[in-house]
Amino acid sequence: MIKTTTRKKIEILMDVPLLRSLRDLAIKNGVRGYTVLPTLAGGGDQGRWRDDQVTGGAGSKVVFATIVKEDTADRFLTALEPLLDEYSLIVTITTVEVIRGDNF
Amino acid sequence: METLLSPVILFFVLGALAAFAKSDLSIPEPLSKALSLYLMCAIGLKGGILVSDNGMTVDLFLAAIAGLVLSCLIPIGAFALLRSFGKLETTNAAAVAAHYGSVSVVTFVAGNQLLTDAGTPPAGYMIAVLALMETPAIIVGIFLARRNTGQAFQPGQDLLRETLLNGSVVLLLGSFIIGLIIGKDGFAPVSPVFETGFTGLLCLFLLDMGLVAARRLRHARNLTLRLVTLAIVFPIVNGTIGTTIGAMLGFDIGTATTLGILAASASYIAVPAAMRLALPKADAGLYLAMSLAVTFPFNIIVGIPFYTMLAKLMV
Repeated sequence: MIKTTTRKKIEILMDVPLLRSLRDLAIKNGVRGYTVLPTLAGGGDQGRWRDDQVTGGAGSKVVFATIVKEDTADRFLTALEPLLDEYSLIVTITTVEVIRGDNF
Repeated sequence: METLLSPVILFFVLGALAAFAKSDLSIPEPLSKALSLYLMCAIGLKGGILVSDNGMTVDLFLAAIAGLVLSCLIPIGAFALLRSFGKLETTNAAAVAAHYGSVSVVTFVAGNQLLTDAGTPPAGYMIAVLALMETPAIIVGIFLARRNTGQAFQPGQDLLRETLLNGSVVLLLGSFIIGLIIGKDGFAPVSPVFETGFTGLLCLFLLDMGLVAARRLRHARNLTLRLVTLAIVFPIVNGTIGTTIGAMLGFDIGTATTLGILAASASYIAVPAAMRLALPKADAGLYLAMSLAVTFPFNIIVGIPFYTMLAKLMV
């Protein structure tokens, strides 16, 4: 059986213009690797949105995903807390099993 | 009527009708992005070449100053009306006001095309005025929001980058400078790409704009009748002021109309991105619906012919 390690996976749905700031915050708090995923469309309390490049991506959203150790996750999420309400971020945290745990 | 039956306008109407009819017609996003880059590049180059032909004139500096002043003052008047008549709270009023102080590149491009087709092309330097008018309103809008909510204005590095180095501003100004450097002779080899296909690609882009604007209107929430009224009153008033200033400064019909178009148009590229960073509590659905779904179609279908008629009366 292949050896796995337990890590935390954090996924954040955010407006495209915020991506750069959030990536810098993640790196500052110990995140070593991340992936940015595109989204097509969605909806919620604030209405519907869709990826439309006509508005230069201002109405578009992306998902920032990272897998980290538990202490790094705590540090990053504490730093993120003041931004949660202000920028209406949607954050999910999942416990995952990864192969080659030293990489995360 | 001639303007309304131009292919550029008809494709815009087609897009809007298709979206209202809930057709599945759509332009792929990467193509839409590529078309917008192409249009900005082409219009920047053309402006630069015209200025390289005519040289730097006093009119260029007068138009730049007029544009800058309009861009700084329009948000202040708009903010007051949005608060009083529009019943918007401070943050939303400031965010919407910033959009009306800034400019819409596509309205400019469409106006430029229609004026050129009518034999009254604007001066090439108006592209520089367009680029200059993109950003001051963002600063004024943020200032209005922070001043009225008591928050200190602390522009982050990202906001500065978003404001000053926004892709559309960089491409417009960059292409304008390239046009200045290469002149008419240098443009000849690339003109098949940037000139021959221009109107056709503009039609495709406006088809997409029609789809996006109408869909935005269909899904707009919090867009009250008062705000729709303001989204129509703002371009009429600002466009009249801009055209009048252009006529008073002694510009030709095309250039005076274009100053009116710039004053009347509302941004939906540079400002929304900056507002998402600076005023995240402002309702993006609201300011995009006003600028993109109401003011933009109004300017394309009614505004541009109206400002042209005004300019013809005054010049």
